[in-house]
Amino acid sequence: MWPLKWKKREQEYRRERAEFFSAVSLLDRRSFIKVAGMAAGVAAAKTALPPHSFQLVDVVSAAQAQPAFRFAYISDTHLYERQLNERFVKAAMRAVQDVNALNPQPDFVLFGGDLAQLGQVGELDLGKQILSEVKAPIKMMVGEHDWFLDMGDKWKELFGPPNYSFDHKGVHFITLMSVNEKDFWTAKNMTPMQRMLTVAGLDNSAQSRFEVGVEGRNWLKADLAKVPKNRPVVIFSHSPLYKYYEPWNFWTEDADQVQAMLAPFRSVTVIHGHTHQMLTNRIGNIHFHGMLSTAWPWPYAPMGLPKLTVQMDRADPFDEADGTGGGQISVHPGGYVDKHYNLWGRNPVVVSKLYLDSWGKQDAPPAPGFPSY
Amino acid sequence: MNKRYMKVIALMMFAAVSAFALREAFIVEAQQKQEAEAKQEASPLVVQLCDGTSKLEIEGLKEGDVMPPEMARNIAAKMLATVAQEKAKQTSKWTARDRQTWEREQKRLIEEGDKLFHDWKALGGTIGISCDMCHPNASNTHAETYPKFQTQIKKVAALRDMVNWCIENPMKGKPIAADDPRMLALEAYMTAQRKGVPLDPGKH
Amino acid sequence: MGNTKRLKLLVVGLAAVVAMAQAITAQDRKYKADLPPAIPEDVWAMLVPEDNPMTEAKVALGRDLYFDKRLSIDNTVSCATCHDPKAAFAEPKQFAEGVGGKRGARNSPTVFNAMFNVEQFWDGRAATLEEQAKGPIINPLEMAMTSHDLVIERLKKDPAYVKRFQEVFGGPPTIADVAKAIAAFERTLVSADSPFDRLQAGDAGAMSEAAKRGFELFKGKGRCITCHEFNASSPFFTDFKYHNIGVGMKATANFEGLARKVQQMAQEGKLNAESIDTLSLTEGFSELGRFIVTRQPKDLGAFKTPTLRNVELTAPYMHDGSQKTLREVIDFYNKGGEPNPNLDGGMRALELTDQEINDLIEFLNALTGDRARRLSRGEEVIGPSKP
Repeated sequence: MWPLKWKKREQEYRRERAEFFSAVSLLDRRSFIKVAGMAAGVAAAKTALPPHSFQLVDVVSAAQAQPAFRFAYISDTHLYERQLNERFVKAAMRAVQDVNALNPQPDFVLFGGDLAQLGQVGELDLGKQILSEVKAPIKMMVGEHDWFLDMGDKWKELFGPPNYSFDHKGVHFITLMSVNEKDFWTAKNMTPMQRMLTVAGLDNSAQSRFEVGVEGRNWLKADLAKVPKNRPVVIFSHSPLYKYYEPWNFWTEDADQVQAMLAPFRSVTVIHGHTHQMLTNRIGNIHFHGMLSTAWPWPYAPMGLPKLTVQMDRADPFDEADGTGGGQISVHPGGYVDKHYNLWGRNPVVVSKLYLDSWGKQDAPPAPGFPSY
Repeated sequence: MNKRYMKVIALMMFAAVSAFALREAFIVEAQQKQEAEAKQEASPLVVQLCDGTSKLEIEGLKEGDVMPPEMARNIAAKMLATVAQEKAKQTSKWTARDRQTWEREQKRLIEEGDKLFHDWKALGGTIGISCDMCHPNASNTHAETYPKFQTQIKKVAALRDMVNWCIENPMKGKPIAADDPRMLALEAYMTAQRKGVPLDPGKH
Repeated sequence: MGNTKRLKLLVVGLAAVVAMAQAITAQDRKYKADLPPAIPEDVWAMLVPEDNPMTEAKVALGRDLYFDKRLSIDNTVSCATCHDPKAAFAEPKQFAEGVGGKRGARNSPTVFNAMFNVEQFWDGRAATLEEQAKGPIINPLEMAMTSHDLVIERLKKDPAYVKRFQEVFGGPPTIADVAKAIAAFERTLVSADSPFDRLQAGDAGAMSEAAKRGFELFKGKGRCITCHEFNASSPFFTDFKYHNIGVGMKATANFEGLARKVQQMAQEGKLNAESIDTLSLTEGFSELGRFIVTRQPKDLGAFKTPTLRNVELTAPYMHDGSQKTLREVIDFYNKGGEPNPNLDGGMRALELTDQEINDLIEFLNALTGDRARRLSRGEEVIGPSKP
């Protein structure tokens, strides 16, 4: 009934446990963990928030250089109005607490897009209110869920233009609007809400593919023209800026053209939202890192998954927070980054610059250990 | 006059002789060709009938040859007649029309399931969460792996048990009956998404 | 040397060999597990380690050690003091009390079915029963022996023990063998002989209607079964995993400071099995739970799901014994636990009615085993072989 293999595994497991216990006192320097402090009373008055927050973040790998600086992110909150869905609201607030509890504080916090679920005024206003609790400066990025109800009117009113760039500690940051779609709605005579719902459906094939578009590419070209080729570039994009899986729009139609514009630069990192999963890719000089959603995880696509991706375990829906979370990005002095995934309810995972530099040969992060069930 | 006739006859004769000679030449060439082909064991021309199963080898033609129109018409007529004859001998009572009906009805249910899968209100959800939000194209539902152990309820469960678990928990609605038409439609949609995947109970 | 002499020697030698062989057979008589039908035999056998096979003599030795107060510094405390057969091998006090009335910060968990745990203690800081047994003996808040060597010194003064160790393990007493013997005894303490088990086996009348309704709630609306796992392959009412449900989070204000101290200790190389054991029973630190062992954020305030078998007899409840009755426990879950930043994502308000809570309690009471009940009433006694 219970195969012999089972018993072997059990014994193996016991041996490993015993080793672990005896090794506790001989802590390896590489697993050095820094403890972050808590932020007292943050937003406690606003809602039924827990009284305090804390976060312990595995930030330093002694084998590698100290990062030049760090920033944190919150992404894909997909807020409905509070009366309809409190779960997503609470998850977004938890992420805000997490970044506020970071010590030292990150230089800034990136919001990775899809603040709202259906781009409605009430949703975007609620999102702005929640994000206003973030202590560090915040950099906003737009997602398709924010855009396609009114084609970005409300979002731009709240947060400004969707394309912008800035320099920070020697790194050139670009926030690129990459979720434009070719007009599929006029011919079908869709209402704005029908258009929004179509785009909001990941597996809804009635929509077009994401693209930066001609206008966006021209803007990017002009922006890049001012940047020396040896200056590290970090791009924030909601869509992945590469081609992963077309049916779900894990896809940027003009990715090849955008990548070609970035090819001359020494160090380019793309931080993207939309895919709600641990996702890693490298194409030539460009490192790609996906962000976690606070609302829910997406499954991995049936094909096209980049080889360098360290997969996260399949989420258990009994735990509403499983497979979601936030994270940090440590920028190295010469460019490129370590990506910290702070998965709520699971152990944190770091996908390092070294891992990508070596095409996955070094510093591989731990895998779930069991096949994804 | 005579002279004229003579001329015509001569011409005709010439033509006949020429034709004969040409024919001879063609035959020789064709024979040589045939022999050469026979040596290479060329595959003969095979035509398939629109029923998708009946096949016929055409003697003397090889794959890639084009039949002369008359020949093609003849063969087509013969094959149709043969099929009609075969059909009369069939023991099944089901017709192509039957099959069409079955497929259309199933497709209708799959489409209904597709709609429900993307509509939280139709399934009685209360917090704006629909099935497709976590399972685009019914991914990670793995209909072909049921019944299997489900860690949420700590026992082996059917797919419909998990449909109801999701309606009750993430969607915060009320479970629907096992024989609710919506349940059948959802099962049709999820199963159809996995067409061709081997049955493998317990995996995933 | 004459032939007769040689023959005599041979005969004597042969006799000695035969006698030794007989002695070995007696000492090696394999322990035959008397398992209730609900416990799968192969699961039980799988969890008996290869390097500690069960024999009758070893179990008897372990039982005597389990009840022996000489294992504590002032001869007042034995394993059975805090894991009392009369209280289903747990204890009615909120906190375990060691020598001189010293109190730890945790409620004693039951030894019944402890052999099935994936790890031992509320925070899983011991991998095996053998490892677990060694901890309390030298923990200053429990049996407070100054060292394991002292334990061995004492045992060596008792010729009967020396003889039995020789017979069972083939050498003088060692701490590893003390732990093995105690663990072997504990592996005989299985419990699955409750009305609920009889219902599962087909006796429809074994459980009241209220308890049956309670079981339905347990599987459904109450969301209990996900962590208090029950099925034929794992009939122990626990998933053996660690969850933060918020117990103790309110009481401990300086949670982060304590976590930071543990982290610092780890960096300074001061965390080892002994210091972890001490921290676990220290007020405040104790609330960090599984975190002390793994130092992973997700384990802050997380404790192992306890079994529910014999739960009626093991009050008070939770790792800190802070909840006195089952009603209090269910009320706690009914409001969704205690909010805190690391609350398990499966926790939520349940909206159970008073009637439903009563039904659940009825069900939980139907998980009391017959033997545990007999022990609690004094109708059966488990004690040392030579009291």
